[in-house]
Amino acid sequence: MIATLDRVDASHEHLRNPSADDRGANVDLPSMDDSQAPDARAQFEEQALPYMDQLYAAAMRMTRNPADAADLVQETFVKAFASWHTFRQGTNLKAWLYRILTNTYINTYRKKQREPYQSPIDELEDWQLGGATSTTSTTARSAEAEAIDHMPASVVKDALQSIPEDFRLAVYLADVEGFAYQEIADIMKTPIGTVMSRLHRGRRMLRELLAEYAQERGITASGSTK
Amino acid sequence: MTDCGCEKARKDLEEYLRNEVCRTAEADIRQHLENCPGCRDEALVSKTLTEVLARSCKEAAPEELRELVMVRLREVQATH
Repeated sequence: MIATLDRVDASHEHLRNPSADDRGANVDLPSMDDSQAPDARAQFEEQALPYMDQLYAAAMRMTRNPADAADLVQETFVKAFASWHTFRQGTNLKAWLYRILTNTYINTYRKKQREPYQSPIDELEDWQLGGATSTTSTTARSAEAEAIDHMPASVVKDALQSIPEDFRLAVYLADVEGFAYQEIADIMKTPIGTVMSRLHRGRRMLRELLAEYAQERGITASGSTK
Repeated sequence: MTDCGCEKARKDLEEYLRNEVCRTAEADIRQHLENCPGCRDEALVSKTLTEVLARSCKEAAPEELRELVMVRLREVQATH
């Protein structure tokens, strides 16, 4: 369905319309309800398209490159439009779109970019392991907050990029999108306890990565070093 | 409202910061944070991490993508 998955290209020249060679793929989409108002597309565009930047940002963190992110967002909107008659007005549209985005990502992309990581790590209780971070002194923690606050965006994105996918998604949905635990559980189709565990664990990995970076670069609480 | 102590505060800190704890626990953790500079700092690190993540991950979709999506929606509609 998506022809150039392995292409990594930072420019936007590669944006393409796969539909020309892809007609057959649309057949399995749920067909539009005939009774649907003729202005369904106008309504969909007005309500759903404003989420494009957010969905694209999420797709970037999922696929880790602009070409795949653009494809994923296109597919998400096409599927969402095909199912638009099932969306109940007044319910959470953003969460609905994220469910479609996440599903599409998992079904289309995850199969192609298997990560060596497997899930049993989820089973472990983790928040009492606190270890290094919870025994550091008060001053050290204030310094940590300030160092994190001074972290360049590219470093933060790289760090997020480098943690295992399930953790990355949980952290992204909670911290960047501000979804509630129950909404994340619905989007990722996992129990709330799993969401919490992935979130705690993912955030601890991020803290460690950012602390390492700060240490290597000699970033201090005063932010005096670049 | 009673101070819940460091152990519970640390365990539930993230849930507290995300408004995911019940009202009683919320009050007890808030009380503890008022009394404990160490846990307050931990809360600051936690909040900062959330803010920095949200700030760092902003992206604007390319304009061409917007146009492509509009074109595809029209095509999908035309085929039904």
